[in-house]
Amino acid sequence: MRFGMELKKLRRTGYFPAFPAGAAAASAFPILNMAVRTEVYTGLPGNPLDILLDASWQMMAMLNILLIVCCTCMMYHTEYAENGIQKMEVLPVRQISLFLRKFLITTAMAALVIMIEFAALAFCILMWFPDAGIDLKEFLCHWSFEVILLLPTIMVSLIIASACRNMWISLGIGVILVFTFSVLPKDYLFLDLCPYCSPYQLLTAAEENGHAALFLGVCIGETALAGMAEHIYLKIRRYFS
Amino acid sequence: MNFLSLTGIELQKIRRSKILLILLAPVVIMWLPAIINSEKIQDVQGIPITPEHNFFIQGFMGMVWFMIPATLIICTVLLIQIEQTNHGMKKMLTLPINRRMLCLAKFAVLLLLPAVQMVMSTAAYYGSAFLSSKLQGYDYILPPGYIFPCIGKFYLAALPAAAVFWMIALLIQTPVFAVGTGLALCVPSVLIINTDYWFLHPMSYPFYMLMTEYGKAAKGLYTTDIDWFPWLPVAVMITVVSLAVSCVKMSRYEE
Repeated sequence: MRFGMELKKLRRTGYFPAFPAGAAAASAFPILNMAVRTEVYTGLPGNPLDILLDASWQMMAMLNILLIVCCTCMMYHTEYAENGIQKMEVLPVRQISLFLRKFLITTAMAALVIMIEFAALAFCILMWFPDAGIDLKEFLCHWSFEVILLLPTIMVSLIIASACRNMWISLGIGVILVFTFSVLPKDYLFLDLCPYCSPYQLLTAAEENGHAALFLGVCIGETALAGMAEHIYLKIRRYFS
Repeated sequence: MNFLSLTGIELQKIRRSKILLILLAPVVIMWLPAIINSEKIQDVQGIPITPEHNFFIQGFMGMVWFMIPATLIICTVLLIQIEQTNHGMKKMLTLPINRRMLCLAKFAVLLLLPAVQMVMSTAAYYGSAFLSSKLQGYDYILPPGYIFPCIGKFYLAALPAAAVFWMIALLIQTPVFAVGTGLALCVPSVLIINTDYWFLHPMSYPFYMLMTEYGKAAKGLYTTDIDWFPWLPVAVMITVVSLAVSCVKMSRYEE
């Protein structure tokens, strides 16, 4: 029932249509890219999925991150806008469970977004690489890898959104973080593991460097740690509100 | 109430919004790595460019490509949302003011905020160029006669995008869509400036300006001459149409 309540709150905010819309925008990118520069890519040697991901994942991942930043801000914005959060505080509901439900909903939506994007990539393969078949297992591996790598970003964005009363501040911090990690040098493994930076990584490259397990482990660890930090933060905040 | 006093009121409203901190953060973030990487800037990777120009252009690249349009979006969120709390807009609209003028006053504030950020960036550039010069023993500082017009051009090129974002913010009532559309429009500018139709995409104008400066500093990398035609008429038209639509939308605004 409480889960339903969270979903209900989001009903009129445009939250649910925003994800498919974002997925459509990101999916249009590889399709347009292939349609315009077909010869450049069909001539390349190697696995078609890797070619497509190398060509377009940077841009798609950035759109995904921006979508997450935007939607998480929205989630807490609706709570703060009409002082809904104060009303939630008087109910016998723990703040952290409220937070975790929001996290789960966003994760589910993000998983859906990445699935739509991979469907678009599959369409590209069928359209422009007719000789190569679609390996469902390979797709599932890539999809789950990208979903897990997106988890820390979702968690941190939600924490920022829950901490800031005003939407422009949470959005500003989120956008600044996206910007920061996009201008930092790309040759440090430590930076690649950070939230807002990990979603740009690809499974094939990580496997080549032997970092796939490291990425998965660190991202899950970061998410858990950030979740605990939020729990402590919410507890402390109650004393001061 | 005249235009200036309306703008003054708008500025008063955002006094406690902490927007200046949000504007300052990317400026600091942009120039700190520049100081740390100042040694690497000497390695121009075969591009015929002087290290001081490389320092300036590389430093501004992220800012012009992503942060200027993104800042404009954040400012539109600020200008719209600040009226939503406690029904501020309702109170504004009960006053005997011209709604179109209110719309333009808000737009003036929207233009003022990135201007402040540009001033901060210029100061940060000189600070970081000075420190890098001290650290590396190489003069990275470019004369103000070159820097000021350059940054001025980036700023002026961002005006059509500001008008478009303002129109989007007013037309799309759901904040998540207004912001999402704006952010999604910023991302592809890297690709769009390499096509022939870049002038139809206002968010890539500042980046185009930077790339022409890059082309001037490093011969053969990008075009050096700005294609004023059909860019200028298109840019003016986009700005005027966007502002006109925003004014019409504001005059029919109902909460």
